[in-house]
Amino acid sequence: KAYLLCLSGGLTQPAGWQSLLSFTILFLAWLAGFSSRLFAVIRFESIIHEFDPWFNYRSTHHLTTNGFYEFLNWFDERAWYPLGRIVGGTVYPGLMMTAGLIHYILNLLHVTVHIRDVCVFLAPVFSGLTAISTFLLTRELWNQGAGLLAACFIAIVPGYISRSVAGSFDNEGIAIFALQFTYYLWVKSVKTGSVFWAIGCCLSYFYMVSAWGGYVFIINLIPLHVFVLLLMQRFSRRLYIAYSTFYIVGLVLSMQIPFVGFQPIRTSEHMAAAGVFALLQAYAFLQYLKDRLTRQEFQTLFFLGVSLAAGGVFLTVIYLTYTGEFLFATFNTKPSLPPMLRYAKIHIPIIASVSEHQPTTWVSFFFDLHILVCTFPAGLWFCIKNINDERVFVALYAISAVYFAGVMVRLMLTLTPVVCMLSAIAFSSVFEHYLGDDMKRENPGSVKQHPFYPVKNISVYSKPIVTMLMLMLLMMFAVHCTWVTSNAYSSPSVVLASYNHDGSRNILDDFREAYYWLRQNTDEHARVMSWWDYGYQIAGMANRTTLVDNNTWNNSHIALVGKAMSSNESAAYEIMKSLDVDYVLIIFGGVIGYSGDDINKFLWMVRIAEGEHPKDIRESDYFTPQGEFRVDKAGSPTLLNCLMYKMSYYRFGEMQLDFRTPPGFDRTRNAEIGNKDIRLKHLEEAFTSEHWLVRIYRVKKQENRQALDHKFRNIAAKQKFTSKKVLPSRFH
Amino acid sequence: KMYEFFNQIPPIFFALIACFFRASLCAEGLVNEDVKRTLDLSSHLAKITAEIQLANHGASRVSGFTLALEAELAPHLAFIGASVKGEEEEDESLELKETTVHGQSGKFFEAQLPSSLAPGAKLRVKVETVFSHMLKPFPTHITQAERQLVVFQGNHYLYSPYPTRSQTTRVRLASKTVESYTKLGNPTKSDETVEYGPFKDVPPFSQDAMKIHYENNTPFITISSVTRTIEVSHWGNIAVEETIDLRHTGAFLKGPFSRYDYQRQSDSGISSVKSFKTILPASAQDVYYRDEIGNISTSHLQVLDDSVEVEIRPRFPLFGGWKTHYIIGYNLPSYEYLYNLGDQYALKIRLVDHVYDDQVIDQLTVKLILPEGARNIHVDTPYPITRSQDELHYTYLDTFGRPVLVATKNNLVEQHIQDVVVHYTFNKILMLQEPLLVVGLFYILFFTVIIYVRLDFSITKDPAAEVRMKVASITEQVLTLVNKRLGLYRHMDEVVNRYKQTRDTGALNSGRKTLEAEHRTLSNDISALQARLKAEGSDLAEKVGEIQKLDNQLKDLVCRSCQEAERLVAGKVKKDAYIDSDKTLSGKRQELVSRIDSLLDAL
Repeated sequence: KAYLLCLSGGLTQPAGWQSLLSFTILFLAWLAGFSSRLFAVIRFESIIHEFDPWFNYRSTHHLTTNGFYEFLNWFDERAWYPLGRIVGGTVYPGLMMTAGLIHYILNLLHVTVHIRDVCVFLAPVFSGLTAISTFLLTRELWNQGAGLLAACFIAIVPGYISRSVAGSFDNEGIAIFALQFTYYLWVKSVKTGSVFWAIGCCLSYFYMVSAWGGYVFIINLIPLHVFVLLLMQRFSRRLYIAYSTFYIVGLVLSMQIPFVGFQPIRTSEHMAAAGVFALLQAYAFLQYLKDRLTRQEFQTLFFLGVSLAAGGVFLTVIYLTYTGEFLFATFNTKPSLPPMLRYAKIHIPIIASVSEHQPTTWVSFFFDLHILVCTFPAGLWFCIKNINDERVFVALYAISAVYFAGVMVRLMLTLTPVVCMLSAIAFSSVFEHYLGDDMKRENPGSVKQHPFYPVKNISVYSKPIVTMLMLMLLMMFAVHCTWVTSNAYSSPSVVLASYNHDGSRNILDDFREAYYWLRQNTDEHARVMSWWDYGYQIAGMANRTTLVDNNTWNNSHIALVGKAMSSNESAAYEIMKSLDVDYVLIIFGGVIGYSGDDINKFLWMVRIAEGEHPKDIRESDYFTPQGEFRVDKAGSPTLLNCLMYKMSYYRFGEMQLDFRTPPGFDRTRNAEIGNKDIRLKHLEEAFTSEHWLVRIYRVKKQENRQALDHKFRNIAAKQKFTSKKVLPSRFH
Repeated sequence: KMYEFFNQIPPIFFALIACFFRASLCAEGLVNEDVKRTLDLSSHLAKITAEIQLANHGASRVSGFTLALEAELAPHLAFIGASVKGEEEEDESLELKETTVHGQSGKFFEAQLPSSLAPGAKLRVKVETVFSHMLKPFPTHITQAERQLVVFQGNHYLYSPYPTRSQTTRVRLASKTVESYTKLGNPTKSDETVEYGPFKDVPPFSQDAMKIHYENNTPFITISSVTRTIEVSHWGNIAVEETIDLRHTGAFLKGPFSRYDYQRQSDSGISSVKSFKTILPASAQDVYYRDEIGNISTSHLQVLDDSVEVEIRPRFPLFGGWKTHYIIGYNLPSYEYLYNLGDQYALKIRLVDHVYDDQVIDQLTVKLILPEGARNIHVDTPYPITRSQDELHYTYLDTFGRPVLVATKNNLVEQHIQDVVVHYTFNKILMLQEPLLVVGLFYILFFTVIIYVRLDFSITKDPAAEVRMKVASITEQVLTLVNKRLGLYRHMDEVVNRYKQTRDTGALNSGRKTLEAEHRTLSNDISALQARLKAEGSDLAEKVGEIQKLDNQLKDLVCRSCQEAERLVAGKVKKDAYIDSDKTLSGKRQELVSRIDSLLDAL
């Protein structure tokens, strides 16, 4: 009969209205999140942005054209010449699989979408899913209202938009969804203690592992949650079921990703999870014994067991470390856990050279999160004040994420969702308090005492004032989000734009001009040397073999390229010959004042080269005696004659950009260059883009033989000799 | 105009025609009285036009004549057309059929005259030929600073099966700079032209090598292949997309390309191609110009009255040997190109369109995508073209695929920009297929959601949830019943008010009776529900009990107000007293109702 009643009037019940409202709000949040990520598409075009996305796009393209197994077995001979790269085994394939699957399904339904468009719009679409999973998680933590607020926040917050605008086809775009959804399912499984939810959590975790290296965050946070719950005496059957299922199934699933392989049982990053698993088993076992033994027996057994276990674990770890089975300090060049990063930062210049690995400033906290960064401690306080199992989780999530975000700008991304949730909780509590129904509150029978505020304290005037204030804050937040998205995070960086005085726009399309020239007018197997930043773009847009790229796994190879760039021409020529280089590509911003060019990155090249070749390259040689890095006449002669300098400024000395400056005036560094008479012996200019942003040089092939400096012998002819023979016709 | 191209027609056909005409060909006494040849070498094409005055010196009437091409030139032939110069300045084009002439090399065409030429009569004929890739760059490799020189090798004389009385040859070049030219008959050179002749009494099939080496910096670009896709939609749109491979076929660039020189010196890279204009139909909309890596942002679009001009600027200037690849596409309104009569449709659209002036297309592939369900397809091409196997194309909402006509042709020039007509039948009912598909899909979607929400798919029973749901449904019923009961009281108030005005005791009594009856049934129902709630073990039963209690009081109040009203009407109470008591009663009632409401809220 209940069903009949539902049929008779879904909307006459408050629940019907509520679900319709939530559905609408979630849909609008999705829509708002999707649309606010489209600035770049509307201003420019549907194009893949920046560097890493180009690689992801290229592999997705490979996946869709050659199929899944070909992709898993893909050996990319066009990268890291002459080493190549086993792509299938060195990527997190989740992103490509997702885009490929969507493309496959759409094509199956005859929706003829190009894979590029799928890739471009994947992150905005997933931002909607992130909003929904954030809603679900917050609803589990607090209530539906807070969930809806959180969904709205995460949809537009710049900290997340920065990684998920249309065209930014990167792992993070889908990983944040996977992260939030895994956490939701985890909270759900802890709450219900059902294997069903725990398995769901594992599957979501599996997706996360396949998508992003940040899965390590999950596999450490969840054990931490369990551990803290144990410390808080909150052990329960539900927790035991949830974690045991999660750990075992999640472990097995995560090991199915080729790139992850046996890491979950070998590296220190994953050991916390194993330790907590063992601890949980032991705890449960002890709980079981406790019921069956007397107090005295139990205590003896407890100490015996604990000391035995501790000794056993200690010895095993020592043994494994000794035999090399267990790697204590493993890290790749993009570590996701800060302690390793700190190590890497000091010892490996290549990691320090990446701007997104810098520590976060206070300004960027505010820039990326705006008002939320101020309100989320309040939400955290509400949670701690009213603690339960899942709120312990969110508290731990918040604290660890804040720490990580403080270490590295990039990890701002993991902080953003939890800040949204906690701020939503804070806002929701305030609104619940100040936006309540007046009628009901006056009616003494129906007043429910609010947990935090006794109702009688609200004065009639404070209500509208507080509400208005909060609304204004939210409005300012929305405005700020849009502004930041529009101005800071919506540049494809492949296409540059400049604005004239009258507001009209000039598009500087030099990158694509040069890359397309390479694609069309060089040999298909030509090898292009460039600094590693442009490796993925060259592979993606020019479709040519590169020596080094953004997957900076081989430091010595990069150092070799750095050495070639920082040596003089003849020394560089030897290196380039040994690496079979056909073309050298550099970025030069001196004509238009583009600051991200190779001369400005040059010191990193020198440093990285010095790390591997300290005898040949010394950083100090590139500075003036006063310790300055100058490109003008006062600059160090080593700099003024190195290959990078020569290639950047070749024929630039003749160029007079305007009448106020002398010829050869570098607009980026605001200096007249020091070496204007540059002659290249082993290289020749092959192509320079319209605004000189990209310059490509051809490495001349060696001549057949070096001409000897000799005179013809003079032999006095004694008698003339004429051959009677006729030369064979082919010598004519 | 009809032009004929012969490489595609089966050779046996020509053989038959040749046999048929042989008699009238060779025996006749045709003579080229006066020939004016013009060799236009000012672009990268060789356009040779000959104005011939034909005279019939034979004895019999002649119905056709033969055109001949040198064996060296024949492979480069892109286009040939002949027309008769009429008296009213109206050219009548002739139908040409390829033929052979015994014992002579070269390529031959048989032209059929509209009316046969009587003995002694004369006729002016204009023969137009276009050759591609005839101008060879020499030297083949030049640096950026050098100018491009090309060599043309041809014939000083008109190659003809008939004797020629008198002829002149005028050569138009691209520039004044001429390295060398053959000096047959002491030609005169002025500015950009070289004039040979007149040559008198040239025998049939005369050949004398002409060689001109001159500067030609016009754009030597060739479309090495183009795929033109035309997708017709009956919803009012024709989408055209051309995928073009472009190559600079002039002298190769030798050595470096210096951007500095290119920007600072106007004559640097003079033979390179920076941009060119593509003319699209006037109704073209949503033009896009892109390649594999995105939009090519360097183009400009200009909408003119009779056309849309796109300034196509490749990403980089094209130097000799460089190539590029791009896609240009646009939409056209179908009413300008699609005609129908009932279910019979005819599509009339250009088989190939303008890409740049003096264009050369080495290889053309046309794909015509007709709407799903088009049948009886028949194609009228303006010139023979190779049809490939038809394909099927699937796009949005297609189920069994759209027929695709595929055709290819090599070596095309501007003269090939002509309309193709495709006839087909299409049942208009099929237009409904796509909207119905969408409607159906949504129907299925909503239906599944409804099924999913309404039915319980769980494999285990959750007693607590079940009880909760049962309780919820019972409380829901209680709510409606209680509200109904409150409604009864309001209704009763109205009855009482009316009674006060009309003083109709009968109406009051009957009203009271219905109230009693309905109230009893409702109260009984609520009690039954309360019992059920109790059975489910819900604590809400107590609240319902409380409501019942309050309601009893409320009902008493209603009855009392009713009695009061009776007493007022009967004159037993004064009006003032009645108003007072009524006020207290209604105050009490108000309080009771609000208490019931608050209880209901708590349910």
